[in-house]
Amino acid sequence: MKRNDWRTRITLGIAALLVAGACTPQAATPSPDATARPTGALITAQPSSAGGLTSDGKILVRWFVGLGTGGNPEQLGAESAAVAKCNAADGPCTKANIKLALEVYQNDVAYDTLATQIATRNAPDIIGPIGVRALNGFGDQLLDLSKYVQAKTLDTAGIEKNLVDTYIVNGKQIGIPYAVYPSYMYYNKALFKEAGLKEPPHKVGDKYTLPNGSQVDWNWDTVAQIAKILTVDSKGNDATKAGFDPKNIAQFGFDFQWTDPRGWATAIGGSGSAVAADGKTAQWPDNWKKAMQWYYDRLWKDHTAPTQDYITALAGGNTFQSGKVAMDFVHTWYTCCVYPGDNTTPVKDWDIAVAPIALDGKITAKLHADTMGILSSTLHADAAALAMNFIMTQPEIVVTYGAMPAKAADRKAFFDALDKKFEKLDPTKVDWQVASSMLSYTESVNHEANMPNFLKSDAAIKQLQSDMLTNGALNIETRLGDLVKSLQGTFGGS
Amino acid sequence: MMLTLPRRESLWGLAFVSPWILGAMVFTLLPMGASFVISLTNFDPRYPDAVHSVGLANYQRLLTDPLVLQSLGVTLKFALVMLPLTLGVSLGLAMLVNNPQLVGRNIFRTLFYMPTQIPIVATTLIWQGVLNLHTGWLNYVLGVFGIAGPDWLNSTLWVYPGLSLISLWGTGTMMLIALAGLQSVPTELYEAARIDGAGRWAQFRNVTIPMVSPVLFYNLIIALIGTFQYFTQAYVLTNGRGDPDNATLFFNLNLYREGWRYYDMGYAATLAWLLFVIVLALTVVLFRTRSRWVYEGAAR
Repeated sequence: MKRNDWRTRITLGIAALLVAGACTPQAATPSPDATARPTGALITAQPSSAGGLTSDGKILVRWFVGLGTGGNPEQLGAESAAVAKCNAADGPCTKANIKLALEVYQNDVAYDTLATQIATRNAPDIIGPIGVRALNGFGDQLLDLSKYVQAKTLDTAGIEKNLVDTYIVNGKQIGIPYAVYPSYMYYNKALFKEAGLKEPPHKVGDKYTLPNGSQVDWNWDTVAQIAKILTVDSKGNDATKAGFDPKNIAQFGFDFQWTDPRGWATAIGGSGSAVAADGKTAQWPDNWKKAMQWYYDRLWKDHTAPTQDYITALAGGNTFQSGKVAMDFVHTWYTCCVYPGDNTTPVKDWDIAVAPIALDGKITAKLHADTMGILSSTLHADAAALAMNFIMTQPEIVVTYGAMPAKAADRKAFFDALDKKFEKLDPTKVDWQVASSMLSYTESVNHEANMPNFLKSDAAIKQLQSDMLTNGALNIETRLGDLVKSLQGTFGGS
Repeated sequence: MMLTLPRRESLWGLAFVSPWILGAMVFTLLPMGASFVISLTNFDPRYPDAVHSVGLANYQRLLTDPLVLQSLGVTLKFALVMLPLTLGVSLGLAMLVNNPQLVGRNIFRTLFYMPTQIPIVATTLIWQGVLNLHTGWLNYVLGVFGIAGPDWLNSTLWVYPGLSLISLWGTGTMMLIALAGLQSVPTELYEAARIDGAGRWAQFRNVTIPMVSPVLFYNLIIALIGTFQYFTQAYVLTNGRGDPDNATLFFNLNLYREGWRYYDMGYAATLAWLLFVIVLALTVVLFRTRSRWVYEGAAR
């Protein structure tokens, strides 16, 4: 009896230990080798925190990165260096008794991670850089920074007032512009040369010279016209020829990389909004309707822009880098991913041209912008503002983000750094004045602006994008009518 | 005090299963209870202070949400294509690699099983290339025979066969289970059937199928649950959008979108409960009808 009893007790004890072991949460272990962490996971460790203080009594300020740029492994070095600089013995953080901690997440998990942290009341203090779209997801969680701007704790000197005001939402200054990314036309010089075409203009107002010598406006109709010459099938017929085979296209005239229908509509049709002035009625303005039809015709009628199957096949979606797309309307951040970026094929011979005149008769260079913000749940707003200002003024970070500085005075250094990055380009340097000049032609309502029930409304618009890229039998007018109905439903909250 | 043998055995048994029981309570029952509570609220993780009870509103919404019916339809359509196909192919492969006349049987068994070791995301991305309308080699091969291949991934009709092809790539586990079932069929039964004049088809229909029916039943249950939990391939191929035209908006994908794209956790929890009830009901129906089509030996 005794023997059986001790066996039972030992077995039960082991079982209890197993259960206890399985149920005990793992303690976070700070890792000095941050880059060794797998992608998608927390890259840098969170210091232990009680009441927003570190174990040695310093004010803990957590900086959450991943909602925009900043989550790529190659950017981690500059971010970590900036944090180390702030935390150094003579750094501004240490002097203010602050410990700045970096948390970097891959973009695809950053949203869920932040939402979870907020839900568990473990939210970070500083978030950013974040784009307009991410701001719409978490914007109402951000602290009003007005008093820090007025006290110059946050330095906005040198940033155009219209950019600063972009981030006043419902009377609150929820962010400080950090980086701007105007859009323009990247073009493959070799493909233009091969087709015997003149390169597109680099100055607003310059005409484009067609092969017959006539001078025409640089507008989207001109883009459509030359795109046909630049689109070539596998047998070498361009899209102007009768024997052109749209099922076997080897090279396309142009593409819009990584944007959505509001981006297409703004670039092609001009400024507009999916929300009427009353803030609650869904709409799709006439210039945007024309823009959608225009683009759809290029996809399925002219076949001069790649549909989804072709996009997938061309360099995994980075179509311009496949060397098989002649023009690509993208933002400044595309300097991240154009040759000689990581894992890119060498499309060395490229430059940038100004945005074409939109269908409403005005040039519209849609704008992306990144900001930094402080969550309203922070326990140490003053310390967070000080640390955020330090982060935003570190030039190394601006360069690693490929971010065109919001401060005009810092832009020369930014373009110099880009020149160094692209110094292998042959035969000339990229004409960066095009990028600067496009800042004067941004849309009146940002193409990623907030909408009621933003996440669902945005998903409905993304669905239109999928449909247009995959279905050649759409009636665009009807489809846009359906979209407006769908948006009106989501605006109402369902 | 002397414990009786059954009592001692019971205690030992409980001791050994207690980690599982406690684990199931902590990691399954507790979250299930939590998800039920969440389904009665408007919980959005971004606004933890704004959570409040909404009663049965989320359950009422199930009845009027067209995407619920659509996603259920997509899942059922896929199940109709997938279940017979995977069961048939896994049994066919098992019979193939069970054939004593096959040279290098172990090599083939390993080869057919190996794809299950590849992460689903990697497999899906590879198949995305294989099934591409313009550059995929499947359409290239069809083209060699003068057949214009379909748009496997962007046609509302062909996307199901396309996804089924991807899923067939991972039938290795079901093949192994079917193989184990085949190897447990007594050879005397085949000998008796042959003496009675049964041909190959008659042997298959009257001996093999009944004898492996318990294994087929197991595979069917697992495949059914897997179909209702189908997510990764559809998510990777369409970036979670359910393209084309919601033809790949599987029930789980819709659930994911509500919970993790729109942060409507209360409604997502409600969808999860609906999924649970449906799968439970189908499993119960299969178990209830089991005696009609699964051979259970003398116990039948």
